[in-house]
Amino acid sequence: MAVIQAIDICKKFGDLEVLHNVNLDVEKGEVVGIIGPSGAGKSTFLRALNHLETITSGKIYVDGHLLDDRVNGINRTNLPKKKETEILLEMGMVFQRFNIFPHKTVLENVALAPQKVRKLSKPLAEERAKELIARVGLTDKLDVYPAKLSGGQLQRVAIARALAMEPKIMLFDEPTSALDPELVGEVLSVMRSLAESGMTMLIVTHEIAFAREVANKIIFMSGGEVLEHGAPRQLFENAQNEKTRAFLNAVL
Amino acid sequence: MEKVMEILRQMSGWVDPLVKSSGITLSLSVLSVIIGILGGTFIALGRISKNKLINKVCGGYIFLFRGTPLLMQLFFIYYALPLAIPAMTLNNRFVAALIAFSVNSAAYQAEIIRAAIQSIDHGQAEAARSLGLTPNQTMFLVIIPQAIKRMIPPIGNEFIMVLKDTSLVSTIALVDLMKRTSQIQSSQATALVYLPSAVIYLIFTGVFTWLFNRLEHHHARYE
Repeated sequence: MAVIQAIDICKKFGDLEVLHNVNLDVEKGEVVGIIGPSGAGKSTFLRALNHLETITSGKIYVDGHLLDDRVNGINRTNLPKKKETEILLEMGMVFQRFNIFPHKTVLENVALAPQKVRKLSKPLAEERAKELIARVGLTDKLDVYPAKLSGGQLQRVAIARALAMEPKIMLFDEPTSALDPELVGEVLSVMRSLAESGMTMLIVTHEIAFAREVANKIIFMSGGEVLEHGAPRQLFENAQNEKTRAFLNAVL
Repeated sequence: MEKVMEILRQMSGWVDPLVKSSGITLSLSVLSVIIGILGGTFIALGRISKNKLINKVCGGYIFLFRGTPLLMQLFFIYYALPLAIPAMTLNNRFVAALIAFSVNSAAYQAEIIRAAIQSIDHGQAEAARSLGLTPNQTMFLVIIPQAIKRMIPPIGNEFIMVLKDTSLVSTIALVDLMKRTSQIQSSQATALVYLPSAVIYLIFTGVFTWLFNRLEHHHARYE
């Protein structure tokens, strides 16, 4: 069964349609790379799944739960707020600009939501946070404030922070786009090991080589639509759509 | 030399009454700014609120109290209100002044607090939301702690303005530092009394400037 099922997602800003009938099925353990030119709607689509953007119409199922069923912007699911939050927490989000809380140490950043949302005791939340911070290789930075960290380290903290809520799916919105080139590798290696551990992942990325290596499925978006999707090998070596070929020629 | 000694002897006689009256100046400014911060926080949150009515009411409050003279507000509360509604007569001048300064300061501080809150990168709220924090948790655990550091310099500025504006209370015959200064000036026909009086004001503003700098420094420790 699909962990995420998006059906005919449309999103309009006034007259501008930024997503047009986007469909996507993500199976458990699948790693999906979403690629395409700037302004294709990739990030908007990812953010819509997590309710950071509101879609105009379409349906979204997460782990079998109907999260959105919208027509003309009106949600017909009538989910109670608590249930909605619960479903949304199945998805962890990693942002392009990290969005780490600057007034909290690394440990506090990761342990905050489990304490306040999951109501874990502080010692338990911190114990689990330490395990996750170890997993992203930052045990020596536990009590450091974010201002002292590099972009690559911040993004690894952000990944640990999202994992602390024990999501079933991880959404990555251009996780390496704001990084200096020499810092990209450390973030990709954390993501690679996460993929190998069986985490379901949706990754909007410009790192084509990484998507090709790690993803099971590639979605090519342009102009708010999914123009092509398939296994990486098929899509990269034998693209059917003219626009996909043009994009791949430009970036590869 | 003898002349200088004579002046110093005269001035030392004023120190005691001036310092005593400055208690009113100091307590009025400190209390008004504290009440102003509390009230201003609620008004600022109202201004940010998506609820149109709350938003308009808070906007109207700021428009009214920032847009009319503080002296007018003070007169209105102490002199005019009892004429209109006898039950609202305030016999205590200090309480009347405190109310006028607090409601006025709240209007200014609401804008300081609102601007500081809205200056925090929107990504912070998005991250908090994606972690499941409620809007209230997001505001009080993530946004406001970061905004406080940005509020401190303008609130320090506001405090110093209020400290000096308290001299307006002499108009409702409340004996603050300014009122005592002008009393001594007219009873003893001397201009010299302004010197120790100004020094006391400068000591107050100097000490509080230092305090606010320390506070700002403390809140910048994570940067």
